[in-house]
This record gives sequence, C-alpha cells and structure tokens, in this order.
Amino acid sequence: MKENKYLLLFLLFSGILINNKVIAQDDSIVAEEIVKLKYYNSKNSMQFLILENYQRTRKKSEPLVNKKFQLYLDSIQPETLIAAITTNNTGKAKSFLPINLKNVWEASATHKFIAIAAGKEAEPAAAIEITKAKIHLDTTTSDGVRSITVTVSKYENGEWIPANEVEMKVGVLRLGGILPAGDEGTYTTDSSGTITVEVTKDSLPGDTNGNFLIAARVENNDQLGNLEVEQLVPWGVAVKTGKDFFSQRTLWSTRFKTPFWLLFMAYGIVLSVWGTLIYLIIQFFKIKKLGKIHTTR
Amino acid sequence: MIWTGILILFCLIGVYAYYRQLSKGLVVTNMRDYVSWGIYISNFVFFVAISLVGSLITAIFRLANIHWSTPLTRIAEIIAVSAITFASIIIIVDMGRPERLVNLVAHGRLQSPITWDVIVIGTYFFISLLLLYIPMLPDLKILNEQKNIKPGWIKRGYKFWGGFWKGTKEQSKISRRSIIILSIMIIPVAFCIHTVTSWLFATTYRPGWDSTNFGAYFVSGAFLVGAGAVIIAMYVFRKYYHLEKYITEKHFDRMGKALVLLAFLYLYFNINEYLVPAFKMKKPEEAHLTQLFAGEFAPLFWFAIIVGMVIPVIVLLFKKGRKPLPMFVIGIMVVVGAWFKRYLIVTPTLLHPFLPMQDVPQSYKHYFPSWEEWAIAIGTLAGALLIITIFVRLFPIIPIQETITEQNEKNEGK
Repeated sequence: MKENKYLLLFLLFSGILINNKVIAQDDSIVAEEIVKLKYYNSKNSMQFLILENYQRTRKKSEPLVNKKFQLYLDSIQPETLIAAITTNNTGKAKSFLPINLKNVWEASATHKFIAIAAGKEAEPAAAIEITKAKIHLDTTTSDGVRSITVTVSKYENGEWIPANEVEMKVGVLRLGGILPAGDEGTYTTDSSGTITVEVTKDSLPGDTNGNFLIAARVENNDQLGNLEVEQLVPWGVAVKTGKDFFSQRTLWSTRFKTPFWLLFMAYGIVLSVWGTLIYLIIQFFKIKKLGKIHTTR
Repeated sequence: MIWTGILILFCLIGVYAYYRQLSKGLVVTNMRDYVSWGIYISNFVFFVAISLVGSLITAIFRLANIHWSTPLTRIAEIIAVSAITFASIIIIVDMGRPERLVNLVAHGRLQSPITWDVIVIGTYFFISLLLLYIPMLPDLKILNEQKNIKPGWIKRGYKFWGGFWKGTKEQSKISRRSIIILSIMIIPVAFCIHTVTSWLFATTYRPGWDSTNFGAYFVSGAFLVGAGAVIIAMYVFRKYYHLEKYITEKHFDRMGKALVLLAFLYLYFNINEYLVPAFKMKKPEEAHLTQLFAGEFAPLFWFAIIVGMVIPVIVLLFKKGRKPLPMFVIGIMVVVGAWFKRYLIVTPTLLHPFLPMQDVPQSYKHYFPSWEEWAIAIGTLAGALLIITIFVRLFPIIPIQETITEQNEKNEGK
C-alpha cells in the first residue's frame, strides 16, 4: 500500500514534469517572418502596393516595425525600382507606382512586383504576379427596383476581355466596411464578367442630400489583386442636422450649456452641504476660542 | 517596526514604478485601446467601497442609538480617511498626464459624472476627517495631560491639535451638536460617493455596466467590504494592543451578524445583476457573461462569489464562527473577494465592447497588469495601511472618553 502511494506520487510528479517540458518546447518554436505583398487598383486610376511584414509564432502574430524594403516592377534593376519603403508600427508600408515606370507598366498585360528586404538582396522577400484589370459599376432603376451592375475585365493579348469567376463584395460604403446591398455577402462574375445585384436595403441614411456611396470590391484575387470602384447615388434618406443643436441645453452639450435643472440641483446640493460644513468649521473655531477664554480665566 | 518597514518598502517600489510611468508614459502599463481602465480603476472602486464603512459604523449606528459599536468608531473612521485619500491618489495615477487634472476645474462640465465624483469624494474626505477629529478632542486632552510623552514633537503635536480642549460644558455642547450634524450629513454623502462612482460605469453603454441596479449594487458591496475591513482591524488591534477589555467577543459576535446581513444584501444584488441578463442572454452580452461564468474569468468570478460572500454567510451563521479568529479569517476572505470583485466589474466588460475595434493587435484583446501596475496598486494599498499604522501609533484607536462615559452611564443605569 505504501509502495503504491509512492508510485502514485512519482507518476504525478513525472506527469507535471513532462507536461512542463511540452510547454517549454512549445515556447521554443522559432518565430517565422512573413512578408506579404498586395496590389491595389482603386477606381481604375490609382495603382499602389501594400507590404505587410510580421513575425508569427504558434501563439501570436507581431508586426515588424521599421523594416526596410525595396520594391521593383518585373525585374530587379535600378531603373525598375518602384520605391524604398519602411514598415510602420502596424508592420505595413505603402507605395504608389511612380510616373517614370509608365512605359514599363503599359508595355505588358501582366506584371510582377518584387520586394527585396534590406540586407537580404540575394533572394526576394516576396513577389506577386498580377494581370491588369478594370472594374466598372453601373446602376439602373426599373419599376422602382434598384440594381447595381458590376463588370470586371482583364487585359490579355492586347485587348480587354471579360474576367469570369471573380468574387467580390457589393454594397453601401460605410465606416466599418461594405454593407451588402443585396441578400448575399459576396457575388461571383459570370462568363461575361458581370454581376447584377438587386438592392434590398432601403431607407438607409445618406448625407444631407440623401446621397451615399455604393462600392464593389474584389479582395485578394490570385490573378487580379485588389480592385475597388465607388459611385455616389441618391438612394439614401436625407439626414437633416438641427441647426440649433449646439445651442440646446442638454446633458451632452458643452459646459456653458448645462441644463438649468442640473445647475440648480447640483449647486443646490453643493451649497447646502458645504454651507453646513463651513458652519461646522465656524463651530470648531468657537470651541477653540472657548478653550482660550477658559485658560486665561 | 518590521511591519512599518515593509509598508514603506512597498510604497517606495510603488513610487519608483510611478516615476517610470511618468517618464515613459502609460505605455509601461498593459492598458491599451480595449482595457483603458485596468487595475488602477479596480483599486479606486475598492478604496471608495471600503471608505463607506465610516458612515456605517460612525453615523448609522450612532444615530440608531447602537452603543456597542462606540469602541469601533475610530477604527472605522481612520479606515475611511486612509481609503478615500488613496482613492483620490489612484485616480490621478490612472491619468497619463496628471497635471491635466487642473483642466477638470478649468474646463470641467457639470453634466459629467466625473465632475460629480470629484466633488463628492472631496466632500466625503472632508466630512470623514472632521468625524475623525472632533470626537477625538476629549482624548487629545487626556494625552496632553500625560507627562512622560516622548519625543517632544509628539507632545507639541497633541498640544497644537487639542490643547484648546478644556472639556467645558459649552465646548462639549458644540462638539456633540457638530458630531450629530456630521453623522446625519455623512450618510447621504456616503451613498452619493458610491452611487456616483457606480454611475461612472452605468452611464456608459457597455455589457455588464448598462444597469439601473448599479448604485444599490455598489453601495451594498461597499458596506460588506468595509465591515470586513473593520473586523480585520478589530482583530489586529485587539491582539497587538491588548484591547480585549474594550473590543470584546460580543463586538465580534455583533459585527459577525451585521456582516451576514450585508453579505445577504450584496448576494441579492449580485443575483439581480447576473441572473437576469443571463436569463435573457442577449447576443451582444453573451461573450461577457460566458467569460464570467465559464470562461477566462470564471475562477476569479466564482472565487469572489463563494469565498467573498457564500462561505462567510455559512460560517457566520454559527456562533462559533463569530469568535475573533474565525471572524478575522472571514474578514480577510471578504476583503480579498471584494478586491477581485472590483477587478471583475471593471476589466471583462472592457474586453467585450458592443462594437469591437478594427485592426487592433491580438494582444489588446487580453489584459494582465504589468509589474508597474501591480507595484503601484500594491503601493497604494500599503500606503493606506501605513496611514492607519502611523495613526494608531500616535492616537488612541479606542475613543477613550466616549467609551468611559458610556460605560459609566451603563453602570449608573444598572
């Protein structure tokens, strides 16, 4: 029985030790550095690149800050240098395509973007290849039904052809992202490179004239990269801001516009409590004075 | 001496950690965009809560003509004064730029609960100080009459603070009236201080804080932790200053019964606060509630409920449980449970906002205080204990004159 007890204790401690060792091994996993390069085409007129650099272990990802990279278009040569960039505190760096590379850009339907890390010139840190693409957005209203039509085309063999099987989000541009305009979260283009979304969301707040932005966004497509297009439409409910809003006395206005009821209540309480306290201090000095009179007698 | 030395050491470490926070900024803490109120605000709520005991023992019992609590009034008042002092300090520590406190006066809005809190804390501090000082005047006379007090500066101090008290009829009359006025005044102010502190949370639309129950919930919890703190102090002072004649087993027994009542009251509000939202389990509150009941914070949550409330009630229902030593252990359980309860009120809610933030590092979604935060928080707790320790070394912790008078009256009555 006694031996069994020791055996049990031994097994318990061995279990704890082995468990600790496993945890220790977990912690010693070498962190992996990740470099991601993403191509963006905004409104068919602005092309730019975003580089993401972070370190990943099994447990977490940490951005790598102040890392220097050089970006090249198609080949690593001084004349095809897009920009020298440095990652910010989120581990990201951004660069637009410079004007001097216009001819190189227009010469080909597909392009390769190459990122070289400073001090590691021997091999690219990241590289992506994209096909030039365009995205167009159109709106129609028929029998009171509003529709958004988006067409994606890509450049191949010297001409623009429809890009099919391209997944995208279509909806109303809001602060946190795109609010889907139809019933689906994403849509995929057909053989004509087109999708049509029937707008099911109505009575959405717009600006003071009832306008809001609708957008179509292709995200992380292997061939085309990231594409986005926007259009202002008068489909929203006009939001009128009260002109006298800031002159109202409310709980959320400035200190000079405190509601009267609060002023009376707060000052009433403060004055009555501190008035009594001042009275008590006077009483205290009275006690002190009485003591001195008593001593002199 | 060792005790005082340890407290001073903790305070110095806290001061050094605060120096680091001042020079490097709040980045030395682990508070980020999600948890912007961490251990400092938990500590602030804890201090405000514990300070409420002054009003319970000194004012409510006094006005209710409950005389058995007379020897405990000074213990309660010094706990109240030291706790409210450090509540004020820790709230300034929480500010990255403490010099901007002046902006509250220069640009403060009367609509803001922060402004109300500052006003009410200042008022409560002042009333507590008066309630500590005025009833002590007759005792200062006794101390002034002692001939062998050394060193000289202590004697001079007694003379300065109480040399004018001669115990004349007029002086006694004014003093008695002042104490009654203060006792009446401190009750609504005490309720205000913790209700307004609760409104700092309840006026913010967040899971766990969006409650109309919060004022009463905070006040009941404050009475419980304050009573727990008084019990600990009663035991310690009784043991080390041999006050068995003044702080008797009867005092422990009665404080035990009071504690059971307060624990039941706080349990009632806890059930209200958690059972009703859990019954509905609204989607935006689900993550917060499940984290508390069965997730990351479950051990702390159930520790605070079971150790801080349920076990004390069970133990104190028995007469043997209301003896000094078990009461001391229960007092510690209540205070420790209450500290974690404050942490649970502040932190988990901040980790689960109704509208999650976008693109924040994963580390922002968890919170564990940095060593600087721990050092400062422990330093403030040590500071509060240091004030009590110094006070006890200099002044009588039992109101001598009042206790003697009451005992004489009692004997004459017999």
